[in-house]
Amino acid sequence: MNFRIDPFKHEVVVNPKYADNTWKILEHAIRDIYNHKASRLSFQQLYRNAYNMVVHESGEKLYSGLVSTMKSLLQEVCECIEAAYGGSFLEELNTKWIDHNEALQNIGDILLYMDRTFIPRTHKTPIRELGINLWRDNVIHSSNIQTRLLNTLLELILGERTGEVINRGLMRNTTKMLMELGSSVYQEDLEKPFIEVSSDFYGLKSQEFIERSDCGDYLKEAERCLNEEIARVSHYLDTKSEAKITNVVEKEMIANHMLRLLHMENSGLVKMLLDDKFEDLGRMYSLFNRVPNGLSMIRDAMTSHIRNTGEQLVTDPEKLKNPVEFVDCLLQKRDKYEKIISFAFNNDKTFQNAFDSSFKYFINLNPCSPEYMSLFLDDKLRKGPKRVKEDDIEIILDNVMRLFRYLQEKDLFEKYYKKHLAKRFLSGKTIFDDAESSLIVKLKTECGCQFTSKLEGMFTDMKTSQDAMQGFYAAHGAELENGPTLVVQVLTACSWSTESGITCNLPPELSALSERFRSYYLGKHKGRILSYKTNMGTADLKAIFGNGQKYQLNVSTYQMCILMLFNNADCLSYKEIDQATEIPSSDLKRCLQSLACVKGKNVLRKEPTSKNIEEDDAFSVNDKFTSKLRKVKIRTVVAQKESESEKQQTRQRVEEARKPQIDAAIVRIMKSRKVLDHKNVIAEVTKQLQSRFLTNTGDIKKQLESLIEREFLERDTTDSQLYRYLNTIP
Amino acid sequence: MPRTSSKKGSRNSTASYSSSTMDLFRAASGKIASKELERIDQLFYSYANNSDTIEPEGIESLCSDLEVDHTDVRILMLAWKMQAKKQGYFTREEWRRGLKAMKVDTISKIKKALPELEKEVRRPSNLVDFYSYAFRYCLTEEKQKSIDIESICILLDLVLGLDFRPQVDALVLYLKMQNDYKVINLDQWMGFYRFCNEISFPDFSNYDPELAWPLVLDNFVDWMRAKEG
Repeated sequence: MNFRIDPFKHEVVVNPKYADNTWKILEHAIRDIYNHKASRLSFQQLYRNAYNMVVHESGEKLYSGLVSTMKSLLQEVCECIEAAYGGSFLEELNTKWIDHNEALQNIGDILLYMDRTFIPRTHKTPIRELGINLWRDNVIHSSNIQTRLLNTLLELILGERTGEVINRGLMRNTTKMLMELGSSVYQEDLEKPFIEVSSDFYGLKSQEFIERSDCGDYLKEAERCLNEEIARVSHYLDTKSEAKITNVVEKEMIANHMLRLLHMENSGLVKMLLDDKFEDLGRMYSLFNRVPNGLSMIRDAMTSHIRNTGEQLVTDPEKLKNPVEFVDCLLQKRDKYEKIISFAFNNDKTFQNAFDSSFKYFINLNPCSPEYMSLFLDDKLRKGPKRVKEDDIEIILDNVMRLFRYLQEKDLFEKYYKKHLAKRFLSGKTIFDDAESSLIVKLKTECGCQFTSKLEGMFTDMKTSQDAMQGFYAAHGAELENGPTLVVQVLTACSWSTESGITCNLPPELSALSERFRSYYLGKHKGRILSYKTNMGTADLKAIFGNGQKYQLNVSTYQMCILMLFNNADCLSYKEIDQATEIPSSDLKRCLQSLACVKGKNVLRKEPTSKNIEEDDAFSVNDKFTSKLRKVKIRTVVAQKESESEKQQTRQRVEEARKPQIDAAIVRIMKSRKVLDHKNVIAEVTKQLQSRFLTNTGDIKKQLESLIEREFLERDTTDSQLYRYLNTIP
Repeated sequence: MPRTSSKKGSRNSTASYSSSTMDLFRAASGKIASKELERIDQLFYSYANNSDTIEPEGIESLCSDLEVDHTDVRILMLAWKMQAKKQGYFTREEWRRGLKAMKVDTISKIKKALPELEKEVRRPSNLVDFYSYAFRYCLTEEKQKSIDIESICILLDLVLGLDFRPQVDALVLYLKMQNDYKVINLDQWMGFYRFCNEISFPDFSNYDPELAWPLVLDNFVDWMRAKEG
């Protein structure tokens, strides 16, 4: 058996009035929703109605009905909002907007079926979007509301800028509404005019403010404005507006006034630098950093200030009188800017570089800088009344090394340093052995071992001399017990640039002793030559004066030779002393001067009494000599700084020593390159030597020409700019 | 001139002939050459006093026969042509080399050939060679590498005076005035030549001290510029 089951055919009878009637019901409901009577409605019923309309081909009617109903409802809303007075305008707008949203939600629920099927099929605007568009076109863009809304908003912002308290929540809701209406609505209706108005506002404000405030206050205000605008954005504007509004503030408040701010008299950059205004400088840095070229303007102004003040410093004749103070000033200056750059300028590398190059510029303006730096170190490393603490010395050394890096004539420094180090060593005045060798290590890392080899040689000599003395007294101590004690420092001639050949006649006791040491030493080290530098030693003498007073006198070797003469004579003339000792006359005069003419230390008496030593003077022991101290130190009058002529000599020697270094550099380069053009030779030589001194082209040219003449190099016959290395050196 | 070049041409073309024809030519020209050589030698011994070199006195009398001063640039040119090694002396070999190249064998022929020689020297390709030869010719001592300022000034005037009169005058004035250099070496000497040829005078507009000019020229230009204003 076969059964077939057909579906039950239900005849649908459509009332021709059905659509109209159903719409009426729905329209009524929509109006109720807007009038806050939605609670009375049956949403299920309404949904079914709307469903039926769509199913029965009345979607079009439903949709167009919705549009026109909402339009007319929104026009009513519009009138309501327009009628709102002053301050309540925004509130009314907001309330209505909230209502509208709620209504849209409800309508959306009722017409859900249309939204899901009919609208996508016919490509119509979905209900929520439709509602927003209608709100935009009929409310926000209605002629009576659009301008009023903008003006209200701008007025409120202006009010807030001038210190009023405004309802930020309301502002936030309003701008949020504008954003929901589409980003173009927000931009056109609020952001653009806001930016324009702000631009005028800050343009005017900055003009006024700069007239009546100093740089620091102005920058504070600019920073405050900037922060205020950023806060405003976070409170009630779109985050994308932040860049735009800060741009306005940056341009109007900062970029337009940078030069004026930097150079404000008594408050600009220079004043801030002078007074170490870290906070103001930091503010200037971070504000100017927001503006193109801002930082380079600060940097340039800073550079020229450092150069100017630095130039004044190194050429100030007062400062030049005291090398220690001179270097102290340099160190202070460096320290000051180091702090400024790290505290205020964010440790900016470009600022650090600008600072370094400015320092390099002015420190080398003064040819004495290398000498003074060495004198400064000498002062710190030498025993004296103002002793530096051991912990501090390392810091001082590091600081001086930083200055040292700026020097172009490092070899000149080395020359002086060597001289001063020798003095410290030989007078036993050095206190920090560790510090001395630590400085050598620093110099070595900075300039290479060639630079410090002689200095290291001096260290070694000091050490081996001690051993030699110990050996000597171990061997001969017993027989020498009752005589004077001899301390010899054996110096390698090439490490210590001592003047050669000056000796004097030692007292017989001492000359016997020193000869004994000589034979001991030469017995140990065959083939060496030992010569005594009597101009450099010191001696401790026990002296008993006529009144029975005993003193220990600390004198130079020369002075010792003079004083020993008075063991056998009461009175000696200048000429007799000269003959007996054979001390060079300029030294002899200085020694006698410090023995006879310095108040409180005059162990000798001079006839006639006067300040200066003449060849006819006569000397005798000053029986009336007294001193509070048992130990009396008699200094020889010496010049601390070099005199002009000595300076010239030192410079000449240094320049002479540069020639073989330039030669060596050229030969090194040419040996590896074989053929090289003039400009590159100059560049490479300069580079190789810059850690030691700054060469000028003329000096290099001179050595090139000399090398051509000595046939180390030749000039290419066709291209005169090319040098060739000649491999024919035997 | 045409005679020389045609001869040269015939000599050059011999290279393409077969060896037998070449021998024939050689024999023929050899006869002429030996006669010429004889006359050249004859002339040599008339000045050499029967030794192997013409000594300064010989050169003096040669000069008076040629009716030129012994300091005349043409004598230097003659020496250049002979490639004479030592100043004031001509060896027989040098004498032969020079006279053969000039195709002359009597005093009057030499005299006639002198203007031609001068032209030859002034040709740019020869001038550099002549210029550096002039320096080397003046090195009289063993291992001597440079020449005193006074002689350099005379030499400059002699060899470049004709072509670069204002430059030479200024340079000579400077060299005599300055105290930095007592002698000039070959490198500096060659620098002068380049300088005269390459540098616009008297404005020095294309002079670049950064280039490899000898220092003495840097100083010269500085001095000139300071003098100008």
